[in-house]
Amino acid sequence: MKIFEFEYKCETSIIHKLDPRAKLVYVILFTVLTIYFTNPLILLLIFLSSVPMAILGKIVRKWLISIKSSLFFIIFIFLFNFIGIFWTTGKIIDTIIISIAMTIRFISLISIFSIFFLSTSPEDLMQSMIKLKIPYEYVLTFNMAIRFVPTLAREAQTIIDAQRSRGLEFEKGNIFQKVKKYIPILIPLIISSLRRAEVIADAMESRAFGASKTRSFLYTLTMSKKDFIFISICIITFTIFLFLRMFSYIQ
Amino acid sequence: MIEFHNVFFSYQPDKEILKNINLKINKGELLAIIGPNGAGKTTLLKHINGLLKPQKGYVKVLGMNTKETTVATLARHVGFVFQNPDHQLFAETVEKEIMFALINFNFPEHEIKERVERILHELDLVKYRNKSPFVLSGGERKRVALASVLCYDPSILILDEPTIGQDYRQKLNLINLISKLNKEGKTVIIVTHDIEFVADFIPRCIIMSDGRIIADGPTEEVLTNSKLLLENSLLLPQLVEISLALDINPPTINFEKLCSIIKKIIEMKEL
Repeated sequence: MKIFEFEYKCETSIIHKLDPRAKLVYVILFTVLTIYFTNPLILLLIFLSSVPMAILGKIVRKWLISIKSSLFFIIFIFLFNFIGIFWTTGKIIDTIIISIAMTIRFISLISIFSIFFLSTSPEDLMQSMIKLKIPYEYVLTFNMAIRFVPTLAREAQTIIDAQRSRGLEFEKGNIFQKVKKYIPILIPLIISSLRRAEVIADAMESRAFGASKTRSFLYTLTMSKKDFIFISICIITFTIFLFLRMFSYIQ
Repeated sequence: MIEFHNVFFSYQPDKEILKNINLKINKGELLAIIGPNGAGKTTLLKHINGLLKPQKGYVKVLGMNTKETTVATLARHVGFVFQNPDHQLFAETVEKEIMFALINFNFPEHEIKERVERILHELDLVKYRNKSPFVLSGGERKRVALASVLCYDPSILILDEPTIGQDYRQKLNLINLISKLNKEGKTVIIVTHDIEFVADFIPRCIIMSDGRIIADGPTEEVLTNSKLLLENSLLLPQLVEISLALDINPPTINFEKLCSIIKKIIEMKEL
């Protein structure tokens, strides 16, 4: 039994070098688009527009993995919509179209958000949150939560090993018994996380965390020309999509 | 009883952690594995109960090839006490914690009660039986973890860093317990950085470095090889340092022997 690997790998592509705020504009605009449209063709276009981002960012492999790993939800959303809409309307063709649209909408959202997180380093993210005037304590909490995911995954693996050494078998039993078998994994994981959190808090305070109101930073983010170009492209694409909507009304 | 044959293992494709390990451990042996951090000691241990499977070569435990045997089957014979007790304690009380493995292995109820009772006494945990393992101190938690493995009486016992966080008295208790288990015929394998602990009472010693076994033999022989130890960033046992400082050749890790040699030197000087 292996725990997934989730770690930001520092790479240098055009997308990685963009200011996180510019990428955030992209995320917001395109999320609005996916929610605004219900036409499956346009939703497909929105999804396809995120593909070049993944290619330029050299993150295609990981991007595919994150879409693949949400396959369960994708199927779930399709079936749920299909049954629900068919139940209420009883029109088979409409049902299929809307279910497909909902599924593509979900995939597009996954795609957009995973591009953002796969191409933004935790530090950059932290800096941009500070620029957005979010209090430092919250920014740090968020950042540390992300930073400790790999540590947690490693620890979960050790705990799984330790309990298997005491005869715990995950393969056996029905679904309820299997769920119950995660208790010996989750409790040690939570307890040791709490213990670690306490130690980290002590260690930070003994290094004068929170001693002064203002902090200095080793490096700060600045928007450059390429960021403004990127934002402009996003806004233009966004407007084109809106025009598409009007165009379809006229027809 | 335990046999490693040309074993290779790596977590990542280009970084081998175990490189061509060949090792035989007989029934009833007591041995220590030492070596610098990242030498592959814990990785080697995890091969014995099948948590990791060799990528090349094979590991046989009690005649079973670990590749073809489940961890649960092997765990019945191989008790593995992990370094950090917090990685396995989860139950509401110490008693329930100890029962966990017994229930997993399907012991009958009366035997579970009997075994829990015995192990609580043996490890001096009776007064904590109804307490949560999480309120105990670090050393006590470590003993609970040990109890939760010892209770099902595995014939092979693996201890990863058992001396960390134990005071001197607990360490002596641990030495007594391990010696007793070993006399009862259990094979005991200990991984540790505590070289004095090894020198005190463990007859066989293996040194690992960079994924290889670089020394394997009687502890007296291995630990007095000062060149080998220093080359692998291991501290010399204090008795060996004294021997070297006094030009005693060959150096020794035996306290009584060293004392008598020193007495002889003093007597010779006085004459």
